[in-house]
Amino acid sequence: MHELVEFAVEKALELGASYAEARFEEKNGTSLAMKNGNPEGLEFLAERGMGIRVLVDGGMGFASTNVLTKESVSEAVKKAVKLAKAASKVRNEPIRFSEEDFHEVYYEVKMRKDFRDVSPEEKMELLRKVEEEVTATGVNVPMRYLGYSDQVWHKIIANSDGAFIESVIPRVSVMYNLVVFENGQMEQAPFVQRAFSGGLELIERDEPWNWAVKDVQALKKLIYEGQKAPEGKVDLVISPEVAGIAVHESVGHPYESDRIFGREAAQAGESFVKPDMLGERIGSEIVTVIEDPTLPNSWGFYLYDDEGVKARPRYLIKDGIITEFLTNREYAYKLGQRSNASARAINYNREPIVRMANTYLAPGDYSFEELIEDIKLGVYMVSFNEWNIDDRRYQQRYIGREAYLIENGEIKHPVKRPILEITTRALWSSVDAVGKDVEMFPELAERVNRDRVSPSGWVERMRGSGIYR
Amino acid sequence: MFDVNEFILKKAKELGFGDVVVLGYETNRRQVRFANNEITVAKNWHERKVELFVELEKRVAGTSITELSEDNIERTLKTLLSNMKGMAPKEDYYGIAEGPFEYRDIPETFDRAIVELDEPNEYVERAINAALEEGAKRVAGVLYTDHTRLYLTTSNGVEAFDEGTGIEISVRAFIGDLESGHGTNSVRVLKKFDPESAGRNAGEIAKLAQNPEQGPEGRFDVIFDPLAFANLLSYMSFMTSAYAAEAGFSFLVNKLGQRVASEIVTIKDVGNMPNGYGSRKFDDEGVPTRETTIIEGGTFKTFLLNTSMAKKYGTETTANAGLIMPHTWNIVLEPGDYTREELFSEVKRGIYITNVWYTRFQNYVAGDFSTIPRDGIFLVENGELKPIRNIRVSDNFQRILEGIKALGKESYHIHWWEVDTPVSTPYVLVEDVGITRATK
Repeated sequence: MHELVEFAVEKALELGASYAEARFEEKNGTSLAMKNGNPEGLEFLAERGMGIRVLVDGGMGFASTNVLTKESVSEAVKKAVKLAKAASKVRNEPIRFSEEDFHEVYYEVKMRKDFRDVSPEEKMELLRKVEEEVTATGVNVPMRYLGYSDQVWHKIIANSDGAFIESVIPRVSVMYNLVVFENGQMEQAPFVQRAFSGGLELIERDEPWNWAVKDVQALKKLIYEGQKAPEGKVDLVISPEVAGIAVHESVGHPYESDRIFGREAAQAGESFVKPDMLGERIGSEIVTVIEDPTLPNSWGFYLYDDEGVKARPRYLIKDGIITEFLTNREYAYKLGQRSNASARAINYNREPIVRMANTYLAPGDYSFEELIEDIKLGVYMVSFNEWNIDDRRYQQRYIGREAYLIENGEIKHPVKRPILEITTRALWSSVDAVGKDVEMFPELAERVNRDRVSPSGWVERMRGSGIYR
Repeated sequence: MFDVNEFILKKAKELGFGDVVVLGYETNRRQVRFANNEITVAKNWHERKVELFVELEKRVAGTSITELSEDNIERTLKTLLSNMKGMAPKEDYYGIAEGPFEYRDIPETFDRAIVELDEPNEYVERAINAALEEGAKRVAGVLYTDHTRLYLTTSNGVEAFDEGTGIEISVRAFIGDLESGHGTNSVRVLKKFDPESAGRNAGEIAKLAQNPEQGPEGRFDVIFDPLAFANLLSYMSFMTSAYAAEAGFSFLVNKLGQRVASEIVTIKDVGNMPNGYGSRKFDDEGVPTRETTIIEGGTFKTFLLNTSMAKKYGTETTANAGLIMPHTWNIVLEPGDYTREELFSEVKRGIYITNVWYTRFQNYVAGDFSTIPRDGIFLVENGELKPIRNIRVSDNFQRILEGIKALGKESYHIHWWEVDTPVSTPYVLVEDVGITRATK
């Protein structure tokens, strides 16, 4: 396959491309589902193909094929070059890429328990374990949808500037949707996912059945003991899970430079962040948000991006100040910078675009007890269901699933559906303490051309920013 | 590609599989993306693959085969067989449809002019120019052309072929950071393609939306533009699948035969709609696609089914396979009898929402959700439109359907990034819709 990748790059240059990049990807894996105790069937994933991206006269073209012969790849290269030429005529200025250092590298994530050696029935046992543990709680859970998925993702990326990167990354996940019906009322924990880059041992160590049990027990308690959340502005403590979605939506996405420069305007939207906002204060002094693809075993793990640029941690916000955007080579050039390796493609048939990997709020030094001890009236939001944000990433809302009242420094009864509906600036300006314990949470916001990402966060406390209805 | 299908079927039967479905695809898709009035990238996707479904004593499995050599096909089938032998059966599996069937051509689903279209960039330029002429400063969007060939062979006597084309554009026009409008156009034959209308609508809305003020909160009568309501109906379409109901993802659970919408609401799935972006001659088990009434006069009539789920519930398939998960083709909200002007004149003080995105559920079975209006949002007061911003629709899905007070008489076919399932809908007026906003 290495030869075919090199052939594609050379062919594109021959045909007049000033830049060419070829990416072979192969995904092999298994997925299983269990619905209300019944196995729903087995699905094998075996997908491979090549995508070719070129610049010609300052226009960009991309073509892909899953017929991996020299003829078919050659045809795809011709199409990419032709499309780029035509596109160059409908441009105000040519696309240029930043200068980068490129390497020839092979890397892989090792599996201690290789899921390729495990039978589907044994994998189904993981779901059966969730099913059994949930049933054993005695909580009435009439709808139970469980999913298991694994895949080994093999990539070979070469470009005409000298990159040749080969990687093998296994990914494994378990998800569940559980509907609790008790006392004539119904609550739900939908699309909860536990996911990692690595082997089956990571799922076994994570014990997703314990998360599921915790969820149904909390929902039952919520039904029987839950009270209305306090009205008005009170202190709010959010868990790593809620902090994770908040950094993902209101820091990760708006700092993606293709949104900042309007390239995503028609689909994923633009950003309230503008190029001249580097150095501007966006949050309180204790807010630092890091974006790091190199976190071992994280769902968004990679060491080189899909343009072949070496990855590193990116500090999007440092001590409350906007310090860095996520960039690929096209937007790094526009900003007069080097790329920080944020070019990502979800599949061989997608062009790499700027997307986050693992976004998290940097830890503080508070224990959980210290976070809540001086709160007179507040809410602790442990998990969320509904969430959304406008397409400039400014007006957002998170509705708690499991949440509790905090009164005089103590956790009290559960509260039903507390709502945090707030602007991005208000959200990060309100943070006055950050905890020291970390948990990782993968995120399910997967859309066309965007990789799955895994935000994580630390427990944080926000003063007077919880707005409850 | 039928030779490949037949080889797979023959080998699968030799290995002892029961039900077998082989669905071959040959697809060519082009995309032109544009932003800031220029093309950002042009793409071409070529794919050839077979989707395979097999059953072995009530154990079911599926895979895609993209490397179609005889060796790889045999290897794949043997891998499936060895993996399935140890698995527990799916007790509620009841088989696939018994063929053969007769198929009719669906008008306006194939156009050689789209296959032979050399260069779609002129349509992009026409859309951009139309938006700029309306006053837009920046125009962004995406254009697709599609050409798909489907080859279906099943162990129950089905051999079927369908070939389809499509061309569509989605255009977003901006004046400032906060003033934008969106328009789309999705058709299956080139002569019906109207990229200018998408650009013009986007530009007109952006122009109307200038200098917006913070919107109010409370309960309001809301007029949903077809683009906005299509988003909600697209989410609802998933919830009409019997699979979604069993898995706990539908507000329609246990509501068969009940009133779930205003009596003026009739919602259908139409698999054989002429010029429909989701239309196909047959479903994944070969049953000819058709029209299925899901909600009639406000009453919920049926979930969407494949053969196995239909047998489980003692009824007939609705031709919506998905072998594991039945799904919709084109969702249609039947239009009413209001002109656009009459609809707006019904509202003394309300809100007009031209587009939404990011619809998310607090609880799927209850139907509680919120969604964010984007592009032009307007306060409607005695026929006047006043631009507003920063509001959120926060309500319940069934309550929205029950609150439908009036429907426009013209229908629009919508398909874009936020509306995966094509939806045909008129303008919709809904009473007392919950509106919230961030207060800090």
